[in-house]
Amino acid sequence: MIIEALLAVTLLGGIAVLLAPDRLAGKLAFGISLGPLLGGLWMFWQFDGSGNLMFDSAAKSFESSLSGTTLLSMGPWDVQWLAAVDGISLPLVVLSTILTTLAIVSAWTPIDERQSQFYALVLFMEAALIGVFTALDFFVWFVFWEGVLVPMVLLIGVWGGPRRKYAAIKFLVYTNVASAVLFVGFLGLLAGLDGTITSFALPEISQAIHAGELQGVGPFSPEELATVSFFAMFAGFAVKVPIVPVHTWLPDAHVEAPTPVSVLLAGVLLKMGTYALLRFNFTMLPEVAMANAELIAAIAVISILYGAMLALAQRDLKRIVAYSSVSSMGYVILGLVAFTVYGVGGATFQMLSHGLISGLLFMTVGVIYNTTHTRMVGDMSGLADRMPVASWVFVAGAFGYMGLPLMSGFAAELFVFIGAFGAEGLQYSPIFTALGMFGIVIVAGYLLSAMQKSLFGPFRLETDYEIGRAPFHDVAPLFVLLGLIVLLGVAPDVVFDMVESATQPIVDAAAENGGGA
Amino acid sequence: MVNAFDLVWLIAALPFLSFVVSVTVGRWLPKEGALPGIAATAGSLALSLWAFLTVRSSGAHYENELYTWIDAGGFELTFGVLVDPLSSMMLVLVSLVAFLVHVFSMGYMNDDELHREKGGFPRYYAGLGLFSASMLAFVFSSNLLMAFMFFELVGLCSWILIGFWFREEAPPSAAKKAFLVTRFGDYFFLVGVVGILVTFGTSGFADGGFPQIASHFLETGEGADHIWVPGDLDTQTWFSILGLLVLGGVIGKSAQFPLHTWLPDAMEGPTPVSALIHAATMVAAGVYLVARMFGFYAGLPTVLAIIAFIGGFTALFAASMGVVKDDIKQVLAYSTISQYGYMMLALGVGGYVAASFHLLNHAFFKALLFLGAGAVIVATHHHQDMWKLGGLKREMPVTYYTFLAGSLALAGIVPFSGFWSKDEVLYDALLIGLEQPLFLAAYAMGLLAVFLTGFYTFRMVFLTFHGEPRSEHAEHPEPLRWNTKGPLAVLGVLATVTGLLNMKPVAELIGNHDILYLENWLDSGTAANGGEWMGSLTYHHYGHLVHEVAGLHEGSPPPSAELAPIVFGAISLSLALGGALLAKSIYDVPEPERMTDRLGPVGRVVQRNYYLDEFQVWLATGVTEPVARASNTFDQGIIDGAVNATSSVSLFSGERVRRIQSGAVTNYVLVIVMSLIVFVVAVGIVGGWFL
Repeated sequence: MIIEALLAVTLLGGIAVLLAPDRLAGKLAFGISLGPLLGGLWMFWQFDGSGNLMFDSAAKSFESSLSGTTLLSMGPWDVQWLAAVDGISLPLVVLSTILTTLAIVSAWTPIDERQSQFYALVLFMEAALIGVFTALDFFVWFVFWEGVLVPMVLLIGVWGGPRRKYAAIKFLVYTNVASAVLFVGFLGLLAGLDGTITSFALPEISQAIHAGELQGVGPFSPEELATVSFFAMFAGFAVKVPIVPVHTWLPDAHVEAPTPVSVLLAGVLLKMGTYALLRFNFTMLPEVAMANAELIAAIAVISILYGAMLALAQRDLKRIVAYSSVSSMGYVILGLVAFTVYGVGGATFQMLSHGLISGLLFMTVGVIYNTTHTRMVGDMSGLADRMPVASWVFVAGAFGYMGLPLMSGFAAELFVFIGAFGAEGLQYSPIFTALGMFGIVIVAGYLLSAMQKSLFGPFRLETDYEIGRAPFHDVAPLFVLLGLIVLLGVAPDVVFDMVESATQPIVDAAAENGGGA
Repeated sequence: MVNAFDLVWLIAALPFLSFVVSVTVGRWLPKEGALPGIAATAGSLALSLWAFLTVRSSGAHYENELYTWIDAGGFELTFGVLVDPLSSMMLVLVSLVAFLVHVFSMGYMNDDELHREKGGFPRYYAGLGLFSASMLAFVFSSNLLMAFMFFELVGLCSWILIGFWFREEAPPSAAKKAFLVTRFGDYFFLVGVVGILVTFGTSGFADGGFPQIASHFLETGEGADHIWVPGDLDTQTWFSILGLLVLGGVIGKSAQFPLHTWLPDAMEGPTPVSALIHAATMVAAGVYLVARMFGFYAGLPTVLAIIAFIGGFTALFAASMGVVKDDIKQVLAYSTISQYGYMMLALGVGGYVAASFHLLNHAFFKALLFLGAGAVIVATHHHQDMWKLGGLKREMPVTYYTFLAGSLALAGIVPFSGFWSKDEVLYDALLIGLEQPLFLAAYAMGLLAVFLTGFYTFRMVFLTFHGEPRSEHAEHPEPLRWNTKGPLAVLGVLATVTGLLNMKPVAELIGNHDILYLENWLDSGTAANGGEWMGSLTYHHYGHLVHEVAGLHEGSPPPSAELAPIVFGAISLSLALGGALLAKSIYDVPEPERMTDRLGPVGRVVQRNYYLDEFQVWLATGVTEPVARASNTFDQGIIDGAVNATSSVSLFSGERVRRIQSGAVTNYVLVIVMSLIVFVVAVGIVGGWFL
């Protein structure tokens, strides 16, 4: 019942915040968000599942008695309430709850109008995110998937920067078109399984495909259908990740979004894309992924290098961090296509790590912006003199992003590299890996340059604002994130054990289907 | 009874603790972090000595796993401790220099008025503490991955400390350059680490680790089943590629050509930092790493040749630039690059002992020279241009005589330490060179560099300490306290005597190899637990690999095996003396002249560092940045343009966007509701389709 309880608390809490007066909304939302946070941590503590939910062998965790309830029937198919977590989704649930709570606290300073609506939308979004990571029925999942967009569009469009409307519409249209494409792709699979499945339960669909029950539809043979569906879904999820060349909504959305929203956007929303790629494409259709491994790896490498080059060209601190996400997400794709325990597990670990590190960097940029009212590298220098705490936290976060050992980014990237380097199913895997790894040099280039120019040197600020002490509630979330980043870097086992248990079946299935490994 | 080996982890943990203390409560402590740092490094030194003596008394190697970082997918990645003759010697060296530098820093930072004004001491001592901890952990790492991780952390500390005076323009820029250039090298290193992990399934150094698996395969052809090779690559070629990849990190950290350019810039950091990090220890990390995994390199002739060449060339190349520098720290920086070139040369010809020997000696005499330069700098109110100094001999006798000892060692004048080790390096290179003419060129470059070293070293000594003061600050230097003089005295003694540890020419002459203490030390090895022979980490084993597996045979030197070391020692000694005397004739005069202007176009090229810095800056700003900007233009114009163009029909075209934007939130909700309707219709179609 815990999953249902988390959803209910968050959703009802959101309604309560919506009705609360503005001056109380922030504190109330924080208090309510502690509910899912503690619940998530409790689940993490109590987790006793193993295996991957998409496979028969999984020992499900936290599946309640409500599971299996039929919500509505569509012909031969039932839409069911089906929710559970495994070693891939549980860490993402916890990440969502942590980042939501911290984002709420970090919003206290910058958000000064329509507060109850703002915080209510954040809580609605959290509920939808928990839903995305726990729902196992396709239609319910898709409702949550779309449900995340609504609050996000409003958060950008109402509380954003000067070009917020353009950014919000672009985000909305872009991701909705993507949703339509992935939806059609999935429908293709359903059509191919006509007669063999009785519900939209993802595990059932996945197992049916693995059992070889996918049939041809219309002019398509089963293999062609699988390929078409794979790429339709891939394209749809790629927008969310985002993968080059469908990434251009991201910098606009990030730059316009208020900082706490950027934190959630980069920290959790992007992971919806990689999570879905892992759950759908790489788990259900591994043979298609392996047949096109070189193509996918090339896309990943291009995302890494091209995204990093774009970040190098930026002058706005927020744009730099935004583009670097494109680069970081490329590592996830590279890890996934490797189909090794370190590759897929490292990709999952990178989702968490990037959520924490990019969240930290966005938040720090926000703290700097709250005081200086500028984010342009050229408008300021020597901030470390006046804002030592924020500056040095930025330094710590930046080195985390660059993959400093004993911080989570290094562990994640190293696992991906180890996993991809010797991947049997990927031709020229050492070359792809080595090319992708060059990203660690470029990331050092743009982050070090940005820090040198804005944080160090003689103090100078182009805007007319007094620099004062940042309030405690602005700074405290930064240290929470930093602590988590170091924890995961020093002891990746804390999470990786459950991740490994959930990724092993995928790797085994790929070895059987693709004949590699 | 507590075993020294069980406490080895504390050697790194203590300075880490001092880092934590400095960061958290440093600003409220009496010396703002200096005292915890001194206490911690003194503790590390004591523990290191204990470990060293335990290795000595039992002849034991010790390997222990401390912590499993991750255990998944077939292999574990762990943190462990490896204490053997090499690492225990290095532990003593690093903790000793770290301790002395901490003491010296009290005089250099806390006692200096200008530095007190600038402040930031807790950050300084935090950086030193974190550096000491990371460096010591790097030294006792039991596997390559752990070594890489701490290798990166020392890079971070180097960045923090080079950019310590962050309110000025130059230091943050130098820090960035240092990190980026070494990061470029570390990229190859990381590819190498990943490659080695995937290839061997382990990255351990000791018995059972990858050097032993690799050399065993190269020697006997056995064990191929457990070695992963990409595609149909030849196994030895693949090993060579892996070796070269790791070498990338070595070249970056040990400032070898062409990645040496960051080190002279790194002199922007406080001088004690230059002594500790950019002379004695961190720069040594690269060379130490090659020595640490020498069992892997020793069987790969191509890689050895490349190492030797890079080393010999760097030795000469850097020395030539040291000749024309006016800033005392710049001279020392180029000299550091050059000296590490000698160590690489030694490793490239299988001179494992010679390289370790020179590493040890150089750490002491170069730390001494940097600290001496630091003493001069604080005493003369931050003057480091040698043309503004001069005549300091009378006012600063302790600094002068210790600096002189260090200079004699650097120049390689008998009996100071540098002579013995540099001579052994060159002699080892010569022996291989006699059989393999290619290596003779590397030897020749190293030999030529000896003359230049003698020249620039004494040019520096004469300009700084001899003659008449050339500025008022040099006329009345500030008095120094015990905390500056003490470390100088200790290092002065060490720079004078450590050469006696391995007097090869003497040993050959009298035919008594027992006096080769270092060589015997590095050749000992039994495992602590169980007393098993840890043969894979001994000089003997490496020699066997270099000669039998890599096929580098030693020639027989003229005139005879007993006399040759003395004869060739005399040759390099006379070259060093020649350089020193030439410097004396030019610069030890009442009014020395700048000779660099007279060198013409060649001199200008050398003075501009062969335009290598310009070239690298051009690579960064003239190539990479335009590419990034072009990508950005492409991204905004073409990719995003296509997106906007596609959608302009519906939403983004001027008129409609404006209309939609005018309605604010209500319009958004409309759009969303519309899209939800689309969704519901889609569901309906699906649901109805199959009814």
